[in-house]
Amino acid sequence: MNPALALPNRRVEEWKYSDLARALGDAGFGDASAGVQMRVLPACVEAIELDQPVRPLWVSAHYGKLKTNAVSALSLAKAASGLALRVPKGQVVAAPLRLTVTGEGHTRLLLVLEEGASLTLLEEGDAAGTRNAGFEIVLGANAELHHVRLAPVSVAVQVEEISVRLAGDARYYGHFANFGAKLSRTELAIALEGEGSEAHLSGVSVLSGNAHADVTTYVTHAVGHTQSTQLFKKVVGGHGQAVYQGKVTVAKGADGADSRQTAKALLLGERAEADLKPELEILADDVKCAHGAAVGDLDADSLFYLRTRGISEQEARHLLIHAFLEDALSDIAHNELRETVRGAVSRALNEVAA
Amino acid sequence: MLDIKNLHVAVNGKEILKGLSLRVDAGQVHAIMGPNGSGKSTLSYVLAGRSGYDITEGSITYNGEDLAALPPEERAAKGVFLAMQYPVEIPGVTTMMFLKSALNAQRRSRGESEMDAIGVLKSVRAKAATLNVSEEMLKRALNVGFSGGEKKRLEILQMALFEPKLAILDETDSGLDIDALRLVAEGVNGLRSPSRAMLVITHYQRLLDYIVPDRIHVLAKGRIVAEGGKELALELEAKGYEQIVKDAA
Repeated sequence: MNPALALPNRRVEEWKYSDLARALGDAGFGDASAGVQMRVLPACVEAIELDQPVRPLWVSAHYGKLKTNAVSALSLAKAASGLALRVPKGQVVAAPLRLTVTGEGHTRLLLVLEEGASLTLLEEGDAAGTRNAGFEIVLGANAELHHVRLAPVSVAVQVEEISVRLAGDARYYGHFANFGAKLSRTELAIALEGEGSEAHLSGVSVLSGNAHADVTTYVTHAVGHTQSTQLFKKVVGGHGQAVYQGKVTVAKGADGADSRQTAKALLLGERAEADLKPELEILADDVKCAHGAAVGDLDADSLFYLRTRGISEQEARHLLIHAFLEDALSDIAHNELRETVRGAVSRALNEVAA
Repeated sequence: MLDIKNLHVAVNGKEILKGLSLRVDAGQVHAIMGPNGSGKSTLSYVLAGRSGYDITEGSITYNGEDLAALPPEERAAKGVFLAMQYPVEIPGVTTMMFLKSALNAQRRSRGESEMDAIGVLKSVRAKAATLNVSEEMLKRALNVGFSGGEKKRLEILQMALFEPKLAILDETDSGLDIDALRLVAEGVNGLRSPSRAMLVITHYQRLLDYIVPDRIHVLAKGRIVAEGGKELALELEAKGYEQIVKDAA
């Protein structure tokens, strides 16, 4: 095998908490092609299957151009399928576009929002299938994307890298809800390349049993007057393991960059684990950056207070766990999608806090 | 209604209450006064059922039942209410949602039907107006960003909503200016009833100018050392705790 395409193991720093080589074993990801399915294509969105021999210019101009890690290099090399989508200049798509990542093996998605375009995307995945998906998202000047990813509980290995590139004044709102897999890795690489661009990332993980979920983010403020926020909350029970690694880089000369990152975990069992690692690299002079991480248990004073009001211990625990996740969930702007995620979170919490 | 006999309570192995006896009948308002460290807050916590407060001797009987055997939520459903000195802040739970959850949890526990959101809202609104609790406060996260007065008003609003049989008010006057104190006291007085008993725990006599008790008990070093009518508060104010404790010895 080409050494550049070798699977990372825990001796690779970025994969320390998620030993991909071990989880996959000798079988690896295999050579099959997974796919990206769409229920309904909105009228003003253009879609191209990536297995076409001839690709239009807007695809070839962007495909395979963004930051790649070991696994996305692999999906680029091996994926024989996938989808490219384009929202043309100035188009505002009102109804959410729903995608499902399915099957076994590798797949790719390219999403291009041209200048001033706007889209809400709900991305789901099927639970079966060992899978490696590579997403590239290109946001033109003043484009706006709301991206909600809802990953189901899975016993497979599911890896996804999402690279987002933002031109001036473009806005990316990403929410990543995750209920764990044998190994689940969501890696976000956000490049704020135009002045005035912003990325707001939030997410919740609710893990029970032996579930693992790793959210790793790289946010680069390449130019000044860019803004990024991150808010990731984890509730971990059983033998679950939640991982957050977040690296924010502010490039030299990117003055006026504003970055905040918060990761918090609530551990509900002796064997539950959370590894939170926020990281900052600042090469500019005049920036506002803050980060924080905390791992804890439910607050005893709050539990007692609720119980003195007649709320049972179990209901009080549920209430406090929901409350813990609430600020990350309320970041989802689209009402219907927010309620979809809330519903999935409630069901997962019934498992973890039962 | 409440009959405490020879109560000994230890926290982390240290004895705080050392043989406290007290009886409060329905329709009565009793005040517990005492200096800092006398065991006032321990008494309120042990009545509400906080874990870590171990009863090593004695008994607490509430309407003929052993109160100490019940978890906090069952005490609440049976009509015991503690207005706390420091109500907790819970981000992520709106005040209104909390009130609805608590009210319905108590109703379920008593075998009553649950109230729907509109029913709870109507009931809360009717009581909120007299306590000057705004609609906006009800929409905010529970106690988050509330002033001291707002927190205490919300405690009394809960008391009005839950209609307890035994209400324990722990240092309800602390942190209140005179206007807030008056408002809270009016709220409490409005809830005095022949079927309800109240235990008002306070360090200062000031609150008792507004909530006039039927009986005052002075707590010192974990025991009741003096008892009397409402005039005892004035004597305490004049002489100070030290003298009263000495006189009693």
